[in-house]
Amino acid sequence: MKTSPLVMRIQLGLFLSFSVLVLPSFIFPSVAIADYSASLEQELALDSSDHKQKFETLFTPEWNIELSDNISMTFIGHARWDNTKKLSNPASSHYSAPDSYATGNGPLYSSDSSEVSIREWYIDTESLGAYWRIGKQQVVWGQADGLKVLDVVNPQNYREFILDDFEDSRIPLWMVNTEIPIGENSNLQILWIPDLTYHAFAESGTEYEVSSPLFRPALPQGVPLLGFHEDKPSSPIKDSDFGVQYTTFYQGWDLTLNYLYHYQDTPVLYQQIGANGVSLSSEYERNHLAGFTASNAFGSFTLRTEVGYSSDTYHLNRSQPNQTPTNKGIHQSSEVSSVIGLDWQGLKDTMMSIQWFQSHLTKHNTDVVRPQNNHILSLLLKRSFINETWELEILALHGFDQQDGSIQSKLRYMLESDLSLWVGSDAFYGRKEGLFGQFNNKDRVLFGVEWSF
Amino acid sequence: MSENPHPSTARTIATLIVHYPKTQVAISLLLMIALFMALPMLYKDTRSDAFLADDNPALVYRDKVKEQFGLSDPIVLAVINTSDSGVFNPTSLSLIQWLSDEISSLDNINTDRMTSLATENNITGSDEGMDVEPFFEAGISTQQDADIVWNKVSDFPLYMGNLVAHDKQATLIVAELLDVKQVEDTFQKILNIVDRAPNGKYDEIHVAGEGAIAGYLGSYIDADAQRLNPLAGIIITIIILFAFRRVSTGILSNVIIAASVLMTLSIMALNGIPFFVITNALPVILIGISVADSIHIYSHYFELQAKHPAEDKKELIIQTVEEMWRPITLTTLTTIAGFMGMYFAAYMPPFKYFGLYTAIGVAIAWFYSLVFLPAALAITKPSASKQMASLTQSNQLDRFSRTMVVLGRISLQNPKVTVGLFSTIIISGIFATGHLVVNEDRIKTFHTSETLYQADAAINAHLNGTNNLDVVIEAKEAEALFEPEHLKKMEALQNFALTLPNVQGAASIVDYLKQMNRSLNGGDKYSYQLPDDKALIAQYFLIYSASSDPTDFDEEIDYDYRIANIKLTLNKGGYVDTQETVTQLNYYIKTQFNNKDITATLSGRVNINYHWIKDLGSSHFVGLAISMFLVWAVASLLFGSLTAGTFTIIPVSSSILLVYSAMVVLDIDLGIGTSMFASVAIGLGVDFSIHTIDRLRSLYQAHNGDWNLTLQELYPSTGRALFLNYMAIACGFGVLISSKVVPLNNFGTIVVVSVSTSFLASMSFLPALIKLTKPRFISGYQPSKKTMSSRWIRIPSVIFLVAVAGGVLVNQPALASEGATAKTTVPNNQLPSADVVIANINRVDDGEHATRNLTMTLIDKRGKKRVRETIGYRKYFGKEKRTILFYKKPTNVKGTAFLTFDYPDAAKDDDQWLYLPALRKVRRISAADRGDYFLGTDFTYEDIKLEGKVDSKDYDFKTIRSEALAQESSPPIQTVVIRGTAKNNVIAKELGYGKTEFWVNVETWLIAKSIYWDTKGKLLKTLTISDVSRIDGILTRHRMTINNHKTGHTSEFLFSSVDYKAPVSDGLFTKRAMKKGK
Repeated sequence: MKTSPLVMRIQLGLFLSFSVLVLPSFIFPSVAIADYSASLEQELALDSSDHKQKFETLFTPEWNIELSDNISMTFIGHARWDNTKKLSNPASSHYSAPDSYATGNGPLYSSDSSEVSIREWYIDTESLGAYWRIGKQQVVWGQADGLKVLDVVNPQNYREFILDDFEDSRIPLWMVNTEIPIGENSNLQILWIPDLTYHAFAESGTEYEVSSPLFRPALPQGVPLLGFHEDKPSSPIKDSDFGVQYTTFYQGWDLTLNYLYHYQDTPVLYQQIGANGVSLSSEYERNHLAGFTASNAFGSFTLRTEVGYSSDTYHLNRSQPNQTPTNKGIHQSSEVSSVIGLDWQGLKDTMMSIQWFQSHLTKHNTDVVRPQNNHILSLLLKRSFINETWELEILALHGFDQQDGSIQSKLRYMLESDLSLWVGSDAFYGRKEGLFGQFNNKDRVLFGVEWSF
Repeated sequence: MSENPHPSTARTIATLIVHYPKTQVAISLLLMIALFMALPMLYKDTRSDAFLADDNPALVYRDKVKEQFGLSDPIVLAVINTSDSGVFNPTSLSLIQWLSDEISSLDNINTDRMTSLATENNITGSDEGMDVEPFFEAGISTQQDADIVWNKVSDFPLYMGNLVAHDKQATLIVAELLDVKQVEDTFQKILNIVDRAPNGKYDEIHVAGEGAIAGYLGSYIDADAQRLNPLAGIIITIIILFAFRRVSTGILSNVIIAASVLMTLSIMALNGIPFFVITNALPVILIGISVADSIHIYSHYFELQAKHPAEDKKELIIQTVEEMWRPITLTTLTTIAGFMGMYFAAYMPPFKYFGLYTAIGVAIAWFYSLVFLPAALAITKPSASKQMASLTQSNQLDRFSRTMVVLGRISLQNPKVTVGLFSTIIISGIFATGHLVVNEDRIKTFHTSETLYQADAAINAHLNGTNNLDVVIEAKEAEALFEPEHLKKMEALQNFALTLPNVQGAASIVDYLKQMNRSLNGGDKYSYQLPDDKALIAQYFLIYSASSDPTDFDEEIDYDYRIANIKLTLNKGGYVDTQETVTQLNYYIKTQFNNKDITATLSGRVNINYHWIKDLGSSHFVGLAISMFLVWAVASLLFGSLTAGTFTIIPVSSSILLVYSAMVVLDIDLGIGTSMFASVAIGLGVDFSIHTIDRLRSLYQAHNGDWNLTLQELYPSTGRALFLNYMAIACGFGVLISSKVVPLNNFGTIVVVSVSTSFLASMSFLPALIKLTKPRFISGYQPSKKTMSSRWIRIPSVIFLVAVAGGVLVNQPALASEGATAKTTVPNNQLPSADVVIANINRVDDGEHATRNLTMTLIDKRGKKRVRETIGYRKYFGKEKRTILFYKKPTNVKGTAFLTFDYPDAAKDDDQWLYLPALRKVRRISAADRGDYFLGTDFTYEDIKLEGKVDSKDYDFKTIRSEALAQESSPPIQTVVIRGTAKNNVIAKELGYGKTEFWVNVETWLIAKSIYWDTKGKLLKTLTISDVSRIDGILTRHRMTINNHKTGHTSEFLFSSVDYKAPVSDGLFTKRAMKKGK
């Protein structure tokens, strides 16, 4: 279902009314109620054969407005322009938002070289003994960096796989977010998310299109593909997500208990064999996610742990030659995932962090493409120099099962308070079949500049 | 391309590199990054003392003298007025008074040691005996008064020439420093004072002196290097881009440059070796050398690629490595040999380390060129530029190759002329060597347009001079210097010194005694002589001390009249100008002065300079010989022929000899900068001849012994690569020619001349010579794998062993000598005890809760500012203190929040959280490292947490004195100074402070100023607090400025809108509030 011009017009209308609201603060700066800031970012990526992969301009304006003593509003806009067209497919995305967006989400305007969207737009208020944040927003759960167990409230945009900043790739959702303080140290958060937006994957033909058999079903040989059917949840009430998080601080430990009843953000690709061939249908499935996190500091170490149990997860089966796929090519199981992370800050201006991510399928058989247990190790090194004028960050991820991984590095220089420059590199290694290895030939070098005002 | 049927070791390794390129690149980069971590530990040492080993006897003695007489290299201000009355007019005298007052109010100025017309006393006879009075007091308003001052001063021979010019037109203000390490800062402050001085119409103020030179030299050279190094990098990148027309080649060469330069500096930092003045040349040299290796790889690879466009690029890379590793390794080994020669021969630590670390940098560049570069090429797989490919395919040459072919034709057509020409150069060079002048003059480091240079010239023109030579007189027994016999000897020594070249003034206790004798004899000129009677002399001292400050003679004589100092002043400081004076004085002292009762020893700046320059010439030639020998030995071993070794060093020898001739003709002295050129010239220049000989050998094989074809073929390929190599080096060093630091400028010029000559000689002289002699090391060469590989193992291991042995000997961490900085303190029973003061400090009310805006300004040593605006809240929950800080500006840190729970139980660590908006996550962070710097400022977490209080568990405190502390914009405040010494090493390490002193306002019990020393006892930081006022009845500090002396970085915290009354909600100190940003 493509976003219709009507929906775009609704959002545009909302945006214009917002603009009218903000306008007075420009005209009468002395009585301005709005606090305005913005950043302008330009990033160039060169691939390993010296070709431009992206030359992207990002503009992110932000308004914080005190509507009354008790009500404040935040608006964050987002405009992207990149004429390289290697990360978007001119054929599939002309003047339309990707399919995974729900009505009311997605960009206001999009073409193969540019996109304008309302990034976040919400109201904060305090009432009925609770703090309310209502509107389009991001909610982040969990303690792990880069590896997601509980951080699944918002879907993600995989246009640049995992290379983009989470801040930019996480897709904000329209939701109601309530936090109820309990006693001095505890807090209960309740989320109601009627926004039916899911992961946005890289479009076909673009740089980071998924090719790993972990995610792309291999069709039985010699069987023609008859059709592709997409089914998306459609009722904002019946199909909405619901979440609860209880946070407390006890004996030096930061603890949370989490529960989320949601549609998983990745569609399940069922295969149906007919007489003349196979047809694929993409469907979203419900899941109960329950979990907890715990973290504490010991000397110069900080321990972070995160555990999640998913009742229903769906994985691709291997296709057998000339054989009807069992269970429509899909294996269903519950899954236990966890992350244990250890940060070390023993060296001046330095943080080193190691994380061990594992996931286990309770049910498994030899047909399933992914192994029963999955292990990823991550290593993060951050160091600043000369009073944080220079900042170096290196993140390495290594998957044990596919023997593949990625190494990202970035060196940032603060030229002025509001002007920073960076160079970075993103590299992948490993077999074509792996999560990271599939992008083995998509290494790149980055140069960027950000001006904020 | 391999000459062996079995894959060579080189091929095997290259294959491994090329097939796992990402692993290699990752390892190389990680290695680089791991070492970079040490880079911030590097520190600067631009003192000229650094040129001598810390245990050099001259230096040790000088330090002893310094301590004895409290002498240090002063900053000298000259007030010059060329009008008729000179400086003796009311305005100029008031100016001198004003300057003296302003300068002595600076923190780092030793007030007791200021010398100027406004501070010195006149000695006159009076009815009661002797009057000791200032030459003038404030408020000279008429010309008449000024004339009186002139009459007084001109009647006091000691001051004439030393303090006041004989022609009235100039006078000095001499200021000594408490801590010489802060000289840069103090120098800048003095310049600020000079800027706002109330000058009269004809008054000029000059700032000079050894203190000023040291103060300015550091920043002068830094500024220069910061301009030059990037420029060299950019120029070389442009050359590479122009030659190969691929962006990636430029990027990859820069990675190798970064690896070689920064890793070398990091290794220096890890070994505790400081960054000396001459270390500034190291990056430029490494840039030139490291880029040469990559040029050879690129050239060969693109040449192959252009010839075989269809071939698998990985295979071409393997072939390139297989072909090029040998010449590249050869040149690396000889370059290392050249620099190790410098290391072994140099006696001054900066030169030793320069040789050693350049050699290390060259080795790093070699490793990255042969491992990282092929791996990176295997990833990017660049193709030869279209132009190059089409030229190759049509068998045409590009303009670099064409230039080289022409050069080849000229030199090979007339081999005898070529050889004759270079022989002339060699012979005239040998002749010129005898005429080289060894000289060094620190002031000439500066460009003649620098104000410092002009100031020095002005002072030397008007007064006795800016260069000091001290003669320390030491007698065996106390009070021996009351003996007229000894004093007469001193007088004779002084008179002798005044006959020596460039000695303009001499001053000692003898002159004061003469003046006293004269004053007490009614001012009779003939009485200006030493009294004859020991008792009388003792009385003079007694009378003087009764009528004036007893410390007045501290600079001239010690308290038990056993040791005295004669201060000689010279108007020139160069080695050639002072060398004779020093040697003659030494001879006089040895033969005429020293006896069993009394001895004299030279000290002072001039003597130190004499000691560090006197061996420069011999060190230069010994180093040159060692380098030459090492290069010759390594080349002979590698080529398996002594003749080949000799041929290898011929081009370099001719280039060095040509440089000597040029130096003699252009009147350039052999000094610090220039003496370094030889090792550099050898290290770089020998590469050309090695590539030439190595290539000729394989070409001779390929052309079946046809000499003409062999020599012709050299030019288009190897010639082109060497030409690019030469261009890169010449341009890299050529940048130095634009340097304002004169020695660096000379150095750059000389290196460019010598590298050009080496290149030309290798491309013309050497082939011509080979054409004439047809040596057997080329024609008889048989590639035999076994002997080669065993040689390859032998040579690096020899060099490695030598290097390790040398490294062990040298890598004793440089001892930090700390100047005596503590003021003499008089124990005073009336001062409050430290315990009471600490208790009072900690009792100061800071409010139950507080709200405030905090603006943090971070200023780096170049004055560049970054500003961060925050809102902070603080509240006590019982005894537990909670603090939260929200960042508001600039946008890139907006939303960051920092929350701390500080528990009263000291054993319990604080709990801390950081919210980073980019992650949208509240992150628990460890709080154990209280000595870590707080969010990029110069405050530590502990400093921030204590908020001006003191933790008595960390230090042992002692009250050391009371002091009126000057304030910038308010009257001085009365303080007590408390010294805290960390209780043990563990605590000191945790805090990052070994010692602290703080000035406590005795009315408010707030700390007004603190100084911190690091765990090694080096001065680390100074904190000043100002704008203290009461808000809601609570004393509030509004401005805190902390200055890090090690890094030159400053942080300024400005508190505003401080409010202790507005309610602060408990909900602010939660993770929810952090996320919401309020």
